[in-house]
This record gives sequence, C-alpha cells and structure tokens, in this order.
Amino acid sequence: MLRDITLGQYYPVDSPVHRLDPRTKIILTVLFIIAVFMASQLYLYVFILGFLSLAVYLSRLPARMIIRSIRPMRILLVFTFILNLFFGTGETALFRIGPVVIWQEGLMNALHFTLRLIFLVMGSSVLTLTTSPVTLTDGLETLASPLKVIKFPAHEMAMMMTIALRFIPTLVEEADKIMKAQTARGADFESGNLMARARAMVPLLVPLFVSAFRRAGDLAMAMEARCYHGGEGRTRLHVLKIGRGDVVAFLVMAALYLLLLLPRWL
Amino acid sequence: MPIVLDKLTHIYQQGGPVATTAIEGIDLVIDDGELLALIGHTGSGKSTLAQHLNGLMKPTSGRVLLDGRDINAKGEDTRRLRFQVGLVFQYPEHQLFEETVYKDIAFGPKNMGLSSEEIDERVRGAMDMVGLPFEEIQGRSPFEVSGGQMRRIALAGVLAMRPRVLVLDEPTAGLDPRARDLLLQDIQRLHKEGTTVVMISHAMDDVARLATRIAVLEKGRLVMEGPPEVVFGRFEELTRMGLDVPQGCQLARRLREIGGPQIPDCYLLESLADSLAAFLKGGGGDAA
Repeated sequence: MLRDITLGQYYPVDSPVHRLDPRTKIILTVLFIIAVFMASQLYLYVFILGFLSLAVYLSRLPARMIIRSIRPMRILLVFTFILNLFFGTGETALFRIGPVVIWQEGLMNALHFTLRLIFLVMGSSVLTLTTSPVTLTDGLETLASPLKVIKFPAHEMAMMMTIALRFIPTLVEEADKIMKAQTARGADFESGNLMARARAMVPLLVPLFVSAFRRAGDLAMAMEARCYHGGEGRTRLHVLKIGRGDVVAFLVMAALYLLLLLPRWL
Repeated sequence: MPIVLDKLTHIYQQGGPVATTAIEGIDLVIDDGELLALIGHTGSGKSTLAQHLNGLMKPTSGRVLLDGRDINAKGEDTRRLRFQVGLVFQYPEHQLFEETVYKDIAFGPKNMGLSSEEIDERVRGAMDMVGLPFEEIQGRSPFEVSGGQMRRIALAGVLAMRPRVLVLDEPTAGLDPRARDLLLQDIQRLHKEGTTVVMISHAMDDVARLATRIAVLEKGRLVMEGPPEVVFGRFEELTRMGLDVPQGCQLARRLREIGGPQIPDCYLLESLADSLAAFLKGGGGDAA
C-alpha cells in the first residue's frame, strides 16, 4: 500500500543530459526560468519550446513524463488563466457577454502567465528527472559553498538532504511492516471517521518514530566510527568536472537568450 | 480444522518491469495441533507464505482455506479471521507503541471488542503464558524493559487474542541464548496446550527439537515436506540449498566418514549421546 509512493522522480537512463555536471544543470535551469519570464511576445515561446524539446529529446525522456509533470498544477493553471482572463482590464475589448468584458490585454496576460507556469514546471522537471537526488545535492553543495564565507552551512545542508533522501525508502518499508503487524492485531486503518482514523495512526506512528530515532542514533555512531567530522577537508569520491558537453549546453542557452533579446534591440 | 493452501502463488508487482515470483504453486495442509517449521534460504518465500496465512497478503492466484472457507473470498470478514490466526512478525518488539505493557498487550483484545474484564483476564493470561511477572511489569513502559522481555511482550500481544493458530516469523532472531531458550520453551508449551504453531526458523537445532513436521522452501517452491527425521535425512539436498542440518546429524555423519562409530543420523543431540553411549558400552568397533 505505502510502497507506491515515489519521491524524487529520477528517470535512470544514460544520455548527454544525464551526463552533464549537476552544477551546469542547476544553473541552466535557473537561466531557463529567467528566460521564460523574458519572453515579451507570444511568438517567442516557440524558441523556449524549441529549447525544452531539444533538452527532452537529448535526455531520452519519454515526452509524456514531461507532460505529466504539470498534472499536479492543473488546477492552479486553470485558475491563473481564468483570473487573468476575466479580471484583467485593458483598452481593447474583444467581446462582452452581459457585464463581463474580455479585454485583449487580459487574454494576453492570461496566456503569458499560463505558458510561463507550464514552462517553469516542465523545465525544472527536466532537472529532477535527469539528475539523481544524490548528484543534485552534490551540485547544490558545491554551488552553495562560496556562501560559507557568511557562515552558511552548505556541507551540512547537503549531507542532511542526502541522508533524508536515503532513508525515505527504508522508512516506507518500515511503515509498511508495522502497519501489517498492527493489522494482524486487528488494527483498522481504513474505516471510521476522521477522528477515528487519526487515532488509528498512533500504533503506526509511535513505532515508526522510535525506529527512526534508533536508526538516526545508529547512523550517527557509524559515521563517527568512520571519522566523519563535517565537511572540513573532506575530499570527494566523484569530483565534479566541467566537460565539453557543459560548454555546449551553456552555448545553446546563450543562443536562446540571444533569440529572446534580439526583438528588443531591433 | 486445518489450513489448506491450494496452489498458492504470489507475484510482487505483477505486470511491472520488475515482477518477481515470491511463492509459486504451494500446496500444503497445516493440521490442527501440529508444529510446522518452515525452513529455507533467505528470499525463499517463507515470510511471504506466512503473511498469506491470515490474509495480510492476497495471493496472485490460488487459495487459502481455513475451515474449508476461502479466506480471501468476497464477504469474508478478514478481521475476524486475523484473531484466529495470530501472526508474530520478525522483530515484533518494533511494533510496541503503548504507554504501558498492559495497554500494549490489550491492544489486540480491545480491537476484538471484548469487555474490560475479559481483556484483563486475557492480558494476565498472555503474560503468564510467556513468563512475564504481571505485577512487576504491567505498568511499565514497554520501551524500558530488556530486549528479551520486549519480544515476549510483543508475543503476549498476539497470544492475548487467543489465536488457534500461531504463526511465528523467526521468533528467536537477535536474542541472547537465555532469552532464546525461554522463548522456545514458551512456544513448546503453547503447542503442547493445543495451539497449532507455524514457525519460520534458520536455527536447525531448534527446529529439530520442536517441530513435528518440516516444510522446505526453495526459490518460492515447496521442495520437501515431512517429519524431521525424513527431512534431515536428506542431508545432501539441504546442504546444496545452502541450509544447515542439526549438529547431531552432522556429527554422526562425520563419525561415519572417518571410520568411527557407525551410528545412524540423530537429529537431536540428546539421542546422539544415547547412541554413542550404547555404542561405547557395546565395546567399540563392531556396533552398527
């Protein structure tokens, strides 16, 4: 029952995009999001779509996975569109139905915001689908390490994220086991009203917390036994390296920016 | 009123890319009053099989019959069934959650909807069965007692439901020798008092001592089944499957190999000692 939960949606295949340095992918994703907000004319989204399609094609992700990534957002998208459409004001009225006026500017705004949201979600999905959580935290750590100057605990943050991600499947398995054990004692997790259900969670949550604390203690002990003392002076097994692919990726991004900015200068 | 397994098959994530067959075509009858030991290598499907016995897992195909009724049939009350077939998981102490030992053991009977007098009687009875001193321990937190006691509290939590069949998944794993012996004595006593017991175990000497029948699983299939002397007699096959045989059998075999006393396989150390004693009294070399 609980085993169906998937967290982190990494899609493990080998592709040029998967092989990119995680730092490149994080920076490119940020640049892509900025680019999405720079598109001032509707036709410019064609370039953005082109860039995204290229990335998806090269990453060998099934296109339906990218499309599916906006599904959790569908209600927000509809709201964004409707609100902008009906409540925007402008100068050119397209048509009116009774007291409701649809303005051309409102329609443009609605399209802009909806498209931006869609591309924003799709773009970040490419990042999480092509980068394993551990690699991603590695990249974040390296990117955030200059902030150590202002006492930002970059290494500790990354280590906590890695450990949290590592233990999600373990805890899911544990929860499944405890749930079964309590079910065997006649516990009922599935029926009753809200209060009854909340109370039914106690026999599941207490043992789960106990075991999580026990595991945390064990892990801390095991890390100390292997002389872990924080990030200071720690070297890496997989050193992040900027390769030719990363340079090409940045050049393609530069081309996208050029295409988006040209109409402003001309 | 036996439990009948009829061509029981369970496939994990059927139809998915990583579908794995855990158990396949198991035909097995668990008779009333027997102590059946399930043995097999890690991943042979023992635990999966055990979880089918009280309907926690649903078979992909095949049936589980209790008193001749398919427990997974539509309209069967699986919750009532779970009170009849008690399942004690591996490391059952991990499921303790209540503030006091008493409340934790009472969890099962309470779910059965019993009166508080009946619950009280059952909690006392169950603690007595596993040798826990009621007055001393009932008010304490289940998290502050010893590991062996935690295990027995968890076992009492299942026994308090008075199941007719008790299914134990590696009940002695991780216990020290003393706690292990105490727990095995409890299990043996329960069996003598008429509870049907199904026990998964890797400790062959325990199996040899307790089991009235042994079923051997390999890669999800039932490959051997019979009384201990028959199953442990098939020494080579068990060894090939990566399973142990009791020390008594190993020693007798080794003695025969090196041309020592030619005594038959004895799966109990005690009977091996008797055979050896008889052999030595008989004057050495000639005895068969």
